[in-house]
Amino acid sequence: MPPTPSQLAALRALLDRLIPADEFPGALAADTDNYIVHQLTGDCAAESSALLLGLAQLDAEAAARHGADHNFSTLASSEQDALLAALEQNRPATAWPAEISASAFFNRMVELAHEGFYADPANGGNRDAVSWRMLGYDPRTGRPSA
Amino acid sequence: MSDYDVIIVGAGLGGGIAAGVLAEAGQRVLLLERGHDLSYPAIPADHLRNHRLALYGDNTTADPAGHPRVFLDSAHPEHPRIVRPHDSAYNLNAFTVGGGARVWGMQAWRFHPDDFRMASRYGVPEGSSLADWPLSYDELAPFYERAEHEIGVAGDHARDTHAPRARDFPMPPVPLNAQGAWLARGAAALGWPAFTPPLAVNTTPHLGRAACIQCNQCIGFACPTDSKNGSHNTLLPRALATGRCELITRAHAARILTDASGRATGVEFFAPAAPDSAQIERRTARAKTIIIASGAIETARLLQLSASSLHPHGLGNHSGHLGRHLQGHYYPTAFGIMPRDAVGERTQFGPGVCIGTTRFNHGNPGVIGGAMLANDFVKLPIIAWRSMLPPDTPRWGLANKHALRDLYWRVVDVKGPVQEIPSPDSRVTLDPTVRDRFGLPVARLSGTTHPETVRTAEFIRHRAEDWLRASGAERVWSWPPELKLSAGQHQAGTCRMSADPRDGVTDRWGRVHGHDNVFLTDGSLHVTNGGFNPALTIMALAFRTAAHLAAPR
Repeated sequence: MPPTPSQLAALRALLDRLIPADEFPGALAADTDNYIVHQLTGDCAAESSALLLGLAQLDAEAAARHGADHNFSTLASSEQDALLAALEQNRPATAWPAEISASAFFNRMVELAHEGFYADPANGGNRDAVSWRMLGYDPRTGRPSA
Repeated sequence: MSDYDVIIVGAGLGGGIAAGVLAEAGQRVLLLERGHDLSYPAIPADHLRNHRLALYGDNTTADPAGHPRVFLDSAHPEHPRIVRPHDSAYNLNAFTVGGGARVWGMQAWRFHPDDFRMASRYGVPEGSSLADWPLSYDELAPFYERAEHEIGVAGDHARDTHAPRARDFPMPPVPLNAQGAWLARGAAALGWPAFTPPLAVNTTPHLGRAACIQCNQCIGFACPTDSKNGSHNTLLPRALATGRCELITRAHAARILTDASGRATGVEFFAPAAPDSAQIERRTARAKTIIIASGAIETARLLQLSASSLHPHGLGNHSGHLGRHLQGHYYPTAFGIMPRDAVGERTQFGPGVCIGTTRFNHGNPGVIGGAMLANDFVKLPIIAWRSMLPPDTPRWGLANKHALRDLYWRVVDVKGPVQEIPSPDSRVTLDPTVRDRFGLPVARLSGTTHPETVRTAEFIRHRAEDWLRASGAERVWSWPPELKLSAGQHQAGTCRMSADPRDGVTDRWGRVHGHDNVFLTDGSLHVTNGGFNPALTIMALAFRTAAHLAAPR
C-alpha cells in the first residue's frame, strides 16, 4: 500500500540521513523515495504494512526522545542520526509493533535506500544516473580509446 | 514409426550443441525448450533483477509462477522451504533458448587431466562418493578443441598450460585491466604463473559476429554486440539452417516414454497449441533417440518423473545414484584494496576477469584438489555496495557514501571455484507434496557437500589472500566457508558417468544405463566438477556424444 503523507514525510527525512547530499546529490535528489514508494506497491507489497508501521514509529521515537511536539522530520540532523543509530542497534525508546523490530525496519530501509540510489535509473531512483557518475561507472562504455 | 530421429530436451549449451551436430549430420531433430527464444532487449539490463543479482526476479524467467522448487536446509530439515526461481536456494537456471550462456561470465576452461581421476590421485574420503571419470582428459581433448573453435574462445595458448592442447585458441585473450596488471605483479612476486583466463567472448570478429566492446555490464546480462558466445549464436543457428531442426519454445517435458525393453519411444510434454498461443496442451512426440540436456537439477527430475512399473525409481536408477552427488562450486573469495596509484586513469573495463592462476588446482598440502583463482567481473554499483565494502564500514550516512566513492574501483576480489568432494546425500528428489503448474512433482534439493570440500575451500581462501597481499593491497579481508549444499549455475553430478552400471547413471558416452537410446548432454554427467567453471566441459561432452550419435552405424 502507498504511504500516508506523514509516513512519506518520515520516509523522505529518513532517506536524507541514510544517503545525505554532499558535493554529490543524495538520496532525495536521486528520487530514491520514488523507488521505495513504487516498491511498496510492487515487489515489496508483502512487507509494506510492516515498513509503513515502522515509518510511523519513527515519529513516535522522535516524540519520545524530544517531546510530543516533534516528529522525525522536524529533528535536527544530529538528532535524527542519533535516533537512527539507536534503532540500528535495536535500542528503541518506544515499544515497536509486533510486525517489525526497530533494527529489522532500519536495516531493510538501508537496503531499499541504496537499491534505489545505486540501481539503474529505470527502477525509479538514481535519477540521471547521479550515483553512477559519482562513482565513474558507465554500463555502456568500456575501455577508453588510447 | 518415429516423428523424429532425435528429441532433445533443453536448448542450452549441451542441447544446442547436440542439435547442431546431429542436424548437420542429416538427422531430423525436435528441440524442446521450456523458456522463450529471448532477443537481446527481452533480457533486461535491470540491476535488481538479473542472474547476478536477483533480488526481486531475474531477467530470463518469463513465467516464474508455478515452477517452484523445495529446499531442505540441512540446519532446519523440519522446515522444507518452497523457493521461487530467483531465490538463491532455488539454485538457478536460466530458462531461455541458449540457457545460462545468454547471461554468463564466459569462463571457458578445460579441466585439469587429474580432475578426471580424483579418486585415484587422492583416495576416497570416508562418507564421500569421490570417483574417477570413466574417460580421460586425452579422450575429451579433441572435443574441448572443437568447442573452443566452434563456440569461440579467446585465450592465452602460450601460458594456459595446465591441460595439454594441440591447437591455439581462435582468438587472443582479453586485455589486462588495472586490477589485472596489479595482480600480475603480485603473482610474479610470489613466483606464481598467472595468465588471462580463457573466455568464450569475441576479442576479434569471429564467425560473423563483432568483437566485445568491453562494457561494464556483462555477467548476468545479455551482450549488446552478440559477442558473448554460446550455442544460441553458433550451433543452434547452424541446426536451424539445415531445415531439419524444429524448435518448440515454452515446451515443458513431462516424462520420457519407455517400452518393455527399456528403450525410449518418445517424450510427453506440455506446450502451446500454437507458437504464440496461451492455450497449453499435452503432446507426445516419438523419436529413435532421446537426449536430455536440462541442467543437473531438471534432468535428474525428469528421469525420476519418467518412472514406470518397470523402472519404479526413475530411468537409469537401478543403482540408486540418480539425483545424488549434486555439486557445484564453493567460491572462497578474498577482498583487497588496491593502492590509489595502481588504479590508473579509467583503466577498469569489462568483462573484468583477466588474470588467473592454476597454481593451486592440485598438489596442495593436506587437502584434496583445489581451485583455479582469478579476479572478478566489473561489479554493478549496487552489488559493490552490498558485498564489496570492508566489513567495518558504516552501512549508511556520509561515511558509507564516501567509502563506496573511494573504493569502487579499488576493491579487488580474487576467488576460485573449489572442486567439490561429492556426497551422495547432496541430492535432487521429487518433492512428495509440491507440484508445478502442470501437476508434476517439483525438484527437492537436500543435503550438503562433503566436509573435505570446506577444508579445501579454506586452503584456497588463504591463497587468495596471499595473492592480494603480495600485490600490495592496503587491506585484505574474507570470510571462512561453511558446510552447505552447493549447486547454482555450476550444478553438476546428479547423473554421473560410470564404467560399471552399479556406480552411476550413464556410461562413458552419456547413455543412460539400461536405456540404450537415452543420452544426457549436460553437467549432470560430471563425476566431479573440476576446479574450474564447468561450461567448456559440458560443451566438450556434448560435442563428443553428438559426434558418437552422428557416426554411421
